[in-house]
This record gives sequence, C-alpha cells and structure tokens, in this order.
Amino acid sequence: MTGREPDIGSLETEMNRGFLHILALALLEKDMYGYSMVKHIEGLGYRVEENTLYPLLRRLEKNGWITSKWDLSGDRPRKFYAVTAAGRALRAGLLEVWKNQNRILDEIRKENANVQ
Amino acid sequence: MSNKLEAYLEEISHFLSGRAEREEILSEIRSHILEKAASEHGGTGDAAIDKAVAAYGAPRRVAERYVDDRPIIAPAYKRYLFRYTSLVFAIHAALTVLAVFLKKELVLFPLLYIPRLGVFDALMYLPAAFLTDLGVVTVVLYFITQSGKDVKLPWPKFGVDLDDVKPPTKSFWVSRVATAFGAVIMLAITDFALYLFARHHTIFFVNLNWNDPRPLFTPGAGRRLSIIVIAMFAVSTMALLIKLFTRSRWVDVASNAVSLGLVGFLLNTPFDDLFAVKIAEDILPKLKYAAKFTLLFIALMITIDLVKHLVLIGRRRLAKT
Repeated sequence: MTGREPDIGSLETEMNRGFLHILALALLEKDMYGYSMVKHIEGLGYRVEENTLYPLLRRLEKNGWITSKWDLSGDRPRKFYAVTAAGRALRAGLLEVWKNQNRILDEIRKENANVQ
Repeated sequence: MSNKLEAYLEEISHFLSGRAEREEILSEIRSHILEKAASEHGGTGDAAIDKAVAAYGAPRRVAERYVDDRPIIAPAYKRYLFRYTSLVFAIHAALTVLAVFLKKELVLFPLLYIPRLGVFDALMYLPAAFLTDLGVVTVVLYFITQSGKDVKLPWPKFGVDLDDVKPPTKSFWVSRVATAFGAVIMLAITDFALYLFARHHTIFFVNLNWNDPRPLFTPGAGRRLSIIVIAMFAVSTMALLIKLFTRSRWVDVASNAVSLGLVGFLLNTPFDDLFAVKIAEDILPKLKYAAKFTLLFIALMITIDLVKHLVLIGRRRLAKT
C-alpha cells in the first residue's frame, strides 16, 4: 500500500504547539516583550510567527502561567511578559514529558538499529 | 500614524468583534508592528510601517488565532446532525402530508406549526421545513457542544440512518450499463407515449383495441394529464442519459425537483368531470381519495430521495473541507 505524500509542514505545526509552550515559558525566565522574543528565537535558528506568539502568550497569561505589564517609558509602548511560579511548575512538567518522549524515541531507534 | 496601520487594526477589530480583550489585542499588535518597523525597516514612517503591516498576515487569519478552537458542533456529534435532521424531517413531512390530506392546520406549540396547505403550497413548504429542521438540530447540538458535557445522544440501532447512506460501490462501468439499459427502456416508453399522444391526444385508455381506442378521461383532462405524465417520462429519460456521462448527484436533485413539480400539477388537476366513462357515484369520492393519497405518497418518496441526495452532497462537501 502506498502512503500519502508526507506533509511535514502541517505535522510540524501540530508538533510545534507543545514546543512553543515550553519555549515561551523557558524564555520568560527574564522579562521580555513580544518582538524581542521573536528576534531571540530567530537568533537561535528557529522561527515563530508573530501572529502565533501573541495569542499563545495571551492563553498562557489567562491561565496564570505568565504575567504582563505595559512599559510606557520608552519611545514606544512595550508589553513585557514574565513567567509565574505556576508557569515554572508547568514548564518543569512539560520538560519531563518532552524528555520522556525523547527517551522513548531513542529506545525505539536503538531497537530498530539492532534489528537491521 | 500610518493610515494603513489604522485600517489594518480596524479590520482585525472587526473580526474580533464581541471579545472583551479586543483593545488590548490591538495594542499588542500595534506595538509589535511599530517595533518591527523601527528595527527592521528604518523608522516609524508610513513606508516602514506599511512593510511591517504587510508581513504580519491577513486580518481575518490574525483574528482567528485568538478565537478558541472549540467547534460549533463537536466531532462526536457531527453524525447526529444528519441523523436527527432526517428523523425530524421525516416526521415533519408525514405531518405535512396529513395536514394536506385533512385540509387542516396542525399545531404542536411551540415545536411545530403546519398551516392549512394546498398541494402546491406543501411542495413549496417542504424544502423550507427541511432547512428549519436542520437549523433546530444544529442549535441543539451547538448548545450540547458548548455545555462541554459528555452527553450520550440516543439513536436506535435499527433506526433509519440517512447518514450511513453510502455512494454505490459498484464500478462506474457496471452502473453505466445498468443506467444505459434503464435509459433505453425509458426512451422506448417515452416514444410510445408520444406516439399515442400524437395519434389520439391522450395516453390513457380503457381498452387495448388500437383500432377503436376508448379514452379514459375527457378530452381536455386527458390531454393535460398525458402531457404531464409524458413530461415525467422525459425527465427520467433525460436524467438517465445524463447519468451515463456523470455521477453528479445534482442530476438526481434536478430530476427530483422537476418530478415534484409535475406531481404537484397532477395533484392540482380538478377531479370533477375527469372521466370519459361512467363511474358509480359512490365509488367516485373513494377513487378521488385513493388517487390523491397515491400521488402524495409518490411526492413524499421523491422528497425523501431529494433530501437524501442533498444530504449526500452536503456530506461530501463537508468531508472536503
């Protein structure tokens, strides 16, 4: 049976959902505003769309995992975000999940290598 | 401030209508665009802002990212949309036929109101009734979905499940041969009916003696009824011929709709002075009711078939999205 052509793009979007949560919670250990987060992530060799990041930050804030406050002292108003204690706990939990998933994939990869 | 930025934010605002945090969201986007224009496009002039706006994304897409992903109808309840609609519509259609037959209005406040309808009115009423039933079922499933509760919706195992009607699985060529066979037979019947009509101005006879045929109906009624029946034959023949080249269900929908109209014409034919032969006075009213009931039953069957094809077309479109 022949499978469908792989559509990495849409699968990657699905995988990214969880990853972006961890990424944002990890980045916000120090206060950052949206644009600086986008640029920082870009500097690490990854890209996140602005119109994906802001709704995510809003959801995180709604759940009490991050807080935000406007800084009006500069040339332009900037909204700074910071992780909360609940956010740190969530981040630790998500990292555990992620590590476990990596471990499982590693195990399977080793098993497959032995079979071949 | 750039007019383009304000127009862009206004458009996003339109798609965020009703959300309490709309102003806050717009401020975040404005702040980001100004930041990007200054850092990447050399300032906060109109040209720089316009570039940053262009890169942010289409307003509707941007707004949609802020909307919860909760569907209008949960996937688990989607199949009940057509199940319940077909069930409710079957009851609705049966009651409509009853209302026409009894020449009375039927009221089941606040769920149902079928006014006193003539046959033509009923044919016009049924498609609207179907849409109403679909709307009511949608609203109920919407509220169940939004409640977030795990409601187990009932559906009898033996129930008629329009949702499970599958397209024919036989190959196109096998169905083509069957369709061609049907088309040839229907063409022969239509031609024979046309031949009879051209020769005798009617296709209804009480004897089969072609040298001295005796028409069943009076000349005017016979001509009128013959034309309607020949038109029905012709529609079926045309539909079968078209279906030799396409599997589109719209052919069935069009054929059913025209047939419904023609059955409506038949039902609308005055019964008095219809027969050219003598019929006993006491039998005539019974004959009238029997004919009306048969035609209404045919109309109901055609309507169900029409709805079935519309549901299958709707499901296919839903599956594509």
